[in-house]
Amino acid sequence: MTLQEIFLILLGLGLAGGILSGIPAMLAIAGVPFVVALLGSLVGAFDPGFLKFFPARVYGIMSNPLLMAVPLFVLMGVLLEKSRVSERMLQVLGQMLGGSARGMAVSVLLFSAIIAASTGIVGATVVMLVLMSLPAMLQAGVPKPLASGLICAGGTLGQIIPPSIVLVLLGDQIGNTYLEAQQRAGNFAPDSVSVGDLFAGALLPGLMLVGLYALYAFAVLTIAAHGAPKVVRTASPPLGVILNSFAPPLLMILAVLGSILAGVATTTEAAGLGAVGALMLAGYHRGGRGRWLVGLGALAVLALLMLRMFTDGRAGPVGTGLAVAMVVLLVLGLVVSVIKLWGGGVLSAASDETLRITGMVFGIVVAASMLALVFRGFGGDVIVGHLMETMPGGDWGALFIVLGMVFLLGFLLEAIEIIYIVVPLLGPPILGGDISPVWFGVLLAMNLQTSFLTPPFGFALFYFRSVAPREITTRDTYVGVAPFVVLQLIGLAMLMTFPSLATWLPGVLF
Amino acid sequence: MRDIFLTFARWCDRITTLACAVALAVLVATVLAIVLLRFGFDMGFIKLQNLAGYAFAVLLILTLPYCLARGGHVRVDVLSERLPPSYLWRADLIALLAFLIPVFGLMVWAFLPDLRFSWAIREGAIETGGLGGVYLVKSMVAVSGLLMIVQGIAAVLRPPPPETAPPLAGSTQ
Repeated sequence: MTLQEIFLILLGLGLAGGILSGIPAMLAIAGVPFVVALLGSLVGAFDPGFLKFFPARVYGIMSNPLLMAVPLFVLMGVLLEKSRVSERMLQVLGQMLGGSARGMAVSVLLFSAIIAASTGIVGATVVMLVLMSLPAMLQAGVPKPLASGLICAGGTLGQIIPPSIVLVLLGDQIGNTYLEAQQRAGNFAPDSVSVGDLFAGALLPGLMLVGLYALYAFAVLTIAAHGAPKVVRTASPPLGVILNSFAPPLLMILAVLGSILAGVATTTEAAGLGAVGALMLAGYHRGGRGRWLVGLGALAVLALLMLRMFTDGRAGPVGTGLAVAMVVLLVLGLVVSVIKLWGGGVLSAASDETLRITGMVFGIVVAASMLALVFRGFGGDVIVGHLMETMPGGDWGALFIVLGMVFLLGFLLEAIEIIYIVVPLLGPPILGGDISPVWFGVLLAMNLQTSFLTPPFGFALFYFRSVAPREITTRDTYVGVAPFVVLQLIGLAMLMTFPSLATWLPGVLF
Repeated sequence: MRDIFLTFARWCDRITTLACAVALAVLVATVLAIVLLRFGFDMGFIKLQNLAGYAFAVLLILTLPYCLARGGHVRVDVLSERLPPSYLWRADLIALLAFLIPVFGLMVWAFLPDLRFSWAIREGAIETGGLGGVYLVKSMVAVSGLLMIVQGIAAVLRPPPPETAPPLAGSTQ
């Protein structure tokens, strides 16, 4: 064993210890490699000059235009949550499908899928689902473990159903690593991988996962329904209420996702539109004077998007006149909703939370750049490459190792940390081969889902526990979540068997 | 002495908060302006693109101390939650001395030569016709590093709050 290998093992052990010690994970991820590098340089196993690149790499992250979408998507989700737009959707949905246990379970799942597309903030979704749907589900006769499992698993859909922050980060990492690995393998003109590709690739697998969950819940409840008392159906809410609570958020999601998939807008532009749309939606839902102005402004955003899609920017004087009118309406609507939200304190609360989440995400990203630097300084990339080459099974063997590693890390770490540790360190040997980078990315995203649900440190479980009533035991939760982890693994297996699930849509679109 | 430092840290945090909020507002407004100009009028300005980039860069690096001042960085507390609170305080102290101060000190110190050069030539955007002032954005790396150290020390000095509830929605997870 070489000196470098000893230090790499030390780095791995130190990292595990540091993260488990309970200090902020970002400090452990940046600090442990730093200390190990200093130790290494004392015995000549590490060139301390490497460390000087750290700030330049941090500045590199700051000037990466891809990551710009992250705070914008966070803002969009936080606004929807703080303005109670999503809460109202769940209420209406519950009334529509409520009554029976199966109807209730399916409606919670549907809602999770919609909210997953719009916010993608797992913690907030789980908390909201517990508060709003858990009592209703239990009352409708859904068993405790199933209800807990549904909420935890439904809450995590946010990171696989696009637009999702995790996919943006994954796109950034895979894009970089793929380019580098292909060039090193002698392919100097590889097709680039964009965040849009990953969004398109993750759409079908994400929906497939929702389908699997629904099938399972339906089956369990049908078996359990024998002999259970029938619950009286509540009256369905009027169509106006349904449209009022569902149409705006759904339109917004379709506009954001549609403009990315249709190639009209970049991810950042779409995220910006989404944030502005959420701002107006929140303003609209606060009611009061000037509400119609906000509504008009929101419609103007959609109209502008349509104009762009159909005229492709060559609209002539009429188009320009229309565009001016729409921009004026939009700005007016935006100003009115900002004033409304400012007065209610919603804006400052949303901005606080957005900044906090942004800091949390980028704390990990910045820290991980130190880890990657030290890992390379010890020659870790070369050692990992050799290790993977000697594994049986070629590309597939390497793929299984990476996926297995991600699954195991999922018991301790969260998606973002795993992405920034695993992709740059273990990804190059795989991405240097012939495996489709989009497929690999979606496989990882699917696999990362489990990290939220596996005890002891599954974020979804943690948030569930913090708000769930005492009568639901931790055991209930674990028992309820286990089948959903299995379902995710089934989904992963299906995706491995049929790569076209992920690669078909991007191929058609781009 | 401790109170003076904590007051100083609070003031630093206030300025950080202001800067972050302004950066976020500028980011949203410029991205919106870029989209509107492109979609409605088929126009684009490099300066506007640069401004969005600057706002994002400042936002990214300054949210780190913002988050630290509020104890918002993720912790894996699966083991530590079973240990007494004094354990966590000690762990944080060690993390501060062994990890936070050296790493962010390095971020400041190793960047000084770059920064000095950037200031000397009043570095602007790479693109022709781009916005100037990249040297100011770059300076934020060093400023953020110093702020991280200040807030890290403040977090250890601060008397612990009586009983903290878990942050409900403070996470992307």
